Amino acid sequence: MTAAARQAAHPGGTEVPAGALAITGFGVVGGAGIGPEPLAGVLAGHRQAPAEPGELFEDDLPGPEGHALTGFSVREHLGRKGTSFLDRGTGLGLLACTLALADAGLDVHDGNRARIGITLGTTHGSMKSTSDYSRATHTEHRPYHVNPVLFPNAVMNSVAGQAAIRTGLHGPNSTVAGGTTAMAQVLRYGRNLIGCGYADTLLAGTVEEFSPQHAWAVRAIQAAEGGDLPPGEGAAVFVVRSAAAVRAAGDEPLAEILAAEVGSFDPPGEDPARYTAGFAACLHRALHRARVRPDQVGTVCTGGNGMPALDGAESRALDEVVGSTAPRIAVADAVGESGAAFGGLQLACVLAAHRAGAQSELFLLSSRSSDGSVGVLLVRTGMRS
Amino acid sequence: MRRVVISGVGPVSSIGIGSTAYADALRAGRSGVSPIAGFDTEGFPYVMGGEVHDFDPGLYLTRLKAEEWGRASLFAAAAARLAVADAGISEAELATAAAGSCMGTTAGESGVLERVTEESLAAGGFGGVPPEWFRQVSAARLSLAVNRELELTADAVTLSNACSASNYALGYGYDLIRTGELDYAVVGGADSVMRWSHAGFYRLGALAERVCAPFDRDRSGIITAEGGAGLFLESRESAEARGARVYAEVLGYGMNCDAHHMVVPERASVAECMRLAHRNAGIEPADVDYICAHGTGTETNDLTEAGAVGDVFGAQPPPISSVKSMLGHTMGAASGHGAIAAALAITHSFLPPTINFSTADPEMAPVDPVANIARQARVDIAQINGFAFGGNNAIVILGRPS
Repeated sequence: MTAAARQAAHPGGTEVPAGALAITGFGVVGGAGIGPEPLAGVLAGHRQAPAEPGELFEDDLPGPEGHALTGFSVREHLGRKGTSFLDRGTGLGLLACTLALADAGLDVHDGNRARIGITLGTTHGSMKSTSDYSRATHTEHRPYHVNPVLFPNAVMNSVAGQAAIRTGLHGPNSTVAGGTTAMAQVLRYGRNLIGCGYADTLLAGTVEEFSPQHAWAVRAIQAAEGGDLPPGEGAAVFVVRSAAAVRAAGDEPLAEILAAEVGSFDPPGEDPARYTAGFAACLHRALHRARVRPDQVGTVCTGGNGMPALDGAESRALDEVVGSTAPRIAVADAVGESGAAFGGLQLACVLAAHRAGAQSELFLLSSRSSDGSVGVLLVRTGMRS
Repeated sequence: MRRVVISGVGPVSSIGIGSTAYADALRAGRSGVSPIAGFDTEGFPYVMGGEVHDFDPGLYLTRLKAEEWGRASLFAAAAARLAVADAGISEAELATAAAGSCMGTTAGESGVLERVTEESLAAGGFGGVPPEWFRQVSAARLSLAVNRELELTADAVTLSNACSASNYALGYGYDLIRTGELDYAVVGGADSVMRWSHAGFYRLGALAERVCAPFDRDRSGIITAEGGAGLFLESRESAEARGARVYAEVLGYGMNCDAHHMVVPERASVAECMRLAHRNAGIEPADVDYICAHGTGTETNDLTEAGAVGDVFGAQPPPISSVKSMLGHTMGAASGHGAIAAALAITHSFLPPTINFSTADPEMAPVDPVANIARQARVDIAQINGFAFGGNNAIVILGRPS
């Protein structure tokens, strides 16, 4: 592609800002199904009805609906070996990692395994595994009659550690507990790992499992904030490298992450103007970092989840910085309140649409938590000709 | 790249809260181990822990309401407060600067989740649990507690890399400052003592009955413990401009993953992590004056760690001691407590001891564990080891400020 043609094809500009990452493949599993296809229409407004996951669990759920992958069996996809004791979230995460490696065509061998790392986002790891452990100390004959084989599941870095074992990756291995803003934090952390030379390639993504504990937590926080979105789950993992290195090698990535910025503020409750100003500053930083103008943003994927105070504050910040021309899409309407998985699924929706034939475009992805954290990503799709 | 220094420390631990109390306890070789009071230990064969019995968050926190946060978040925020006070920097400066936090943890707010679970048993389901409790479960809140307490508006990152998480957090904060992303960072970690993890370590066979005796022939395991570790990081120029007292410079860190087993450490990978840390810090093994060990006191960890030290340092490695012998294993805060101990060792020229040591292990590569009594020694370069479930190794190198 010539420079002029590239310019014409990429309305978000063609520059590679310092530290930008390229996505060379991805794997996604969510309530809608496995792989990108079920998410391809989400940006165009396609909504799939939530499932009824009640029969998966002995504990009651707060409501019948959930964006859960009810038929998921890790064994079906990854075989029997080493999968018997994995919890649901670990299964989802391992599958997404495996799919991502295959999608990127990344061959792991002794020459590169020390330079490929894993960074996965979570909220609390598997809430169910930890909670079940606490429960067993009360319900078993003795308080220590817990299953030692399940102990690693109850610790929060289980998915990243198991993924390293399964894929043979010896590079930096981290778990970022960022809740709904985890994906932005993961990519900012990933920029640092690659930019400072700790790794060449990362499996970067987020995971959240559906469980009664997750569903009740979603219900409690949604209700307190005036929303009623059903819970969701998923795992989305992206193979990322330095965008400059990928370009230098002559490869065309699926997309480039031009900026990953984060912030933290008191939630908007008492002082919404201050929160909005902070959010706006974070958006400005991201645009500056990406070296793009607000009018180049084609579509905004918001963190909107039906919580009026947060939705309103986010909208005002976007109005102020990006303007109101670019269409806004709240992906959570389609994937549910999916905790840490949200940001990964949001990014996967963008890539899924692109893979299904959408024009190249500059996307702004924003996310926020009811505890006050904010994340902003600027993503340019369409680099694969 | 800017150079990065530690100009404030905030330990919250079973052997002391605050820089002075903690340093005094390390020098005295004090034990913080006592019978667990945080949960009902009836039916548990082993009941000792390293709890911070006298922790009163209200003494330290001014903005956070203690009842809205879990114990680990309160440890994190209190440790951060102490570190900032120790650094002597104004809150107004922090609130307007590019300042953030990165806190490590093993179990996050699973103490809250445990309370939720217990209430669900009593109430016949999760629907009977007070909904506001669920809000406190997210582990992201550990770093958010720090940012909201101190009005920091940049990164709030919680790294849940299990028992080396504080070293990862310290490393990330160091990178964010040296690359110019942040001007100030509070780093460290926090965890609390809980019933479920006490049970889990017991069933793994990793729990000691009474004392933690790292590197001893008769060591029998860890003592579960808790607390918070806070370290205040800024650029060297910033500290000089403020006229701040500097404990140590962060020279670099290394990290890798065993990718071998979730709970069994691997010697070759641990040794490689040490080499990575040395390379990134621009030092040779012979430059290291003191190793603050991971030193959990389990059969496997100490054997693996001593072996890896021998592989990297040769037959006469520098003194290596475990502060876990005094504090117990503070999990996600552990390497933060180690980093604070190492910073104090550099500043005050002493080596913290490994207490409870009586007999060298003939099966183990020879080490000098600084047995039982602190030692006067000049420390120019210290290495802090951190290993974890999931094969998450991270090693930080600190140096005397020049």
